[in-house]
Amino acid sequence: MIAAASAVPVRAHHSFAVYEPTLQIKLSGVVTTLKWTNPHVYLEIDASDPKTGETRHWLLECASTSILNRAGWKFNMLKPGDKITVIVSPLRTGEPAALLKQLTLADGSKYSNGAAAGRVTIE
Amino acid sequence: MTPTMRLQSIGAVLVAVVVVAPGFAQSRSAARGLTGSWEAYPLRGEGFGSGVQPKVRVAAPAPISEPPLRQPHLDEWRALQARNAELVRKGLPPPSTGMACIPEGMPGMMQATFPMEILETPGQITVIEEAFNQVRRIYLGAPALAPEDAEPRFAGQSTGRWDGAVLVVTTVGVKDSVHFRNTPHSMKMRIIERLRLVNDEILENQVTVEDPEYLTTPWTWTWMYKRWPGYKIQEYVCEDNRYFEDPTLRYQRLRVQ
Repeated sequence: MIAAASAVPVRAHHSFAVYEPTLQIKLSGVVTTLKWTNPHVYLEIDASDPKTGETRHWLLECASTSILNRAGWKFNMLKPGDKITVIVSPLRTGEPAALLKQLTLADGSKYSNGAAAGRVTIE
Repeated sequence: MTPTMRLQSIGAVLVAVVVVAPGFAQSRSAARGLTGSWEAYPLRGEGFGSGVQPKVRVAAPAPISEPPLRQPHLDEWRALQARNAELVRKGLPPPSTGMACIPEGMPGMMQATFPMEILETPGQITVIEEAFNQVRRIYLGAPALAPEDAEPRFAGQSTGRWDGAVLVVTTVGVKDSVHFRNTPHSMKMRIIERLRLVNDEILENQVTVEDPEYLTTPWTWTWMYKRWPGYKIQEYVCEDNRYFEDPTLRYQRLRVQ
């Protein structure tokens, strides 16, 4: 099933090519908003920059509401102030936005962003 | 015949009508086991479907070939594919209709990007594709529309008939702005689908696209769907795509702020 991920037709909405295809980074921060919309859900967090330690506001692109529901998410599972850790691929432009690869909640539970977002390659 | 006997006779007729009627309704609706939710097969990975393989594995259909376009359309199509692939490689995705929340239309909506629901009702089969809330209505036994008489729509206009166990659906009237796999078409395009149950779990859709203006030969491929019992189709209103076309560079960019 995982092997089929590369064949996922992401062209239906748009390509994720704006994100660094190979770079993945880990961010720990606090949720500010979760916009439960289509074609994609957007999660915003305040997280310290892994390089500078400075707090930045990040926009994290997620899959559609339906993909997230099927992957076990729920529309109300994240609230402003929740502490989370994410693994993401940042935008190639250097702006503070990224494609979510994996979400970890404070209780340690992990959530995928669906097959189209690709697999996690870092711990 | 006494009044009592007459009443009994009328009663018998009424009972007969009541008993026969459900059977008649059944034959009119001619439900053939298509009703329910379906997901693309082979399965497409986490989040796209159930993740549950069918009990009996069925060979995957062949990949869709390039469209047999007439020249100069074929050379233009190949050049566009190469250009788009190069842009994506550079992280500069070309503008797309999805960027503006435009639905796939026919035949793209039948690739079941997300699960789809099929409903069989008397005289009509309805397909609801979760992606973009797309709906198509296939009128059974209705006279086929001439392409020039069909109002252009994203899903086109479909008529169907049962040929034994095969549902044959003809679609005309797909808007010429709807380009499945970047393939242009004329308003003379006709899509013929032949749907049949391979077994209880797998539905096969043999698609044939004909277009005397754009195609040298019919363009054919097969899609398959796996039954997903109990799956409830979700709402999908494309309301806020944060991708926009850069006004000078003509690439897709993400609105970060």
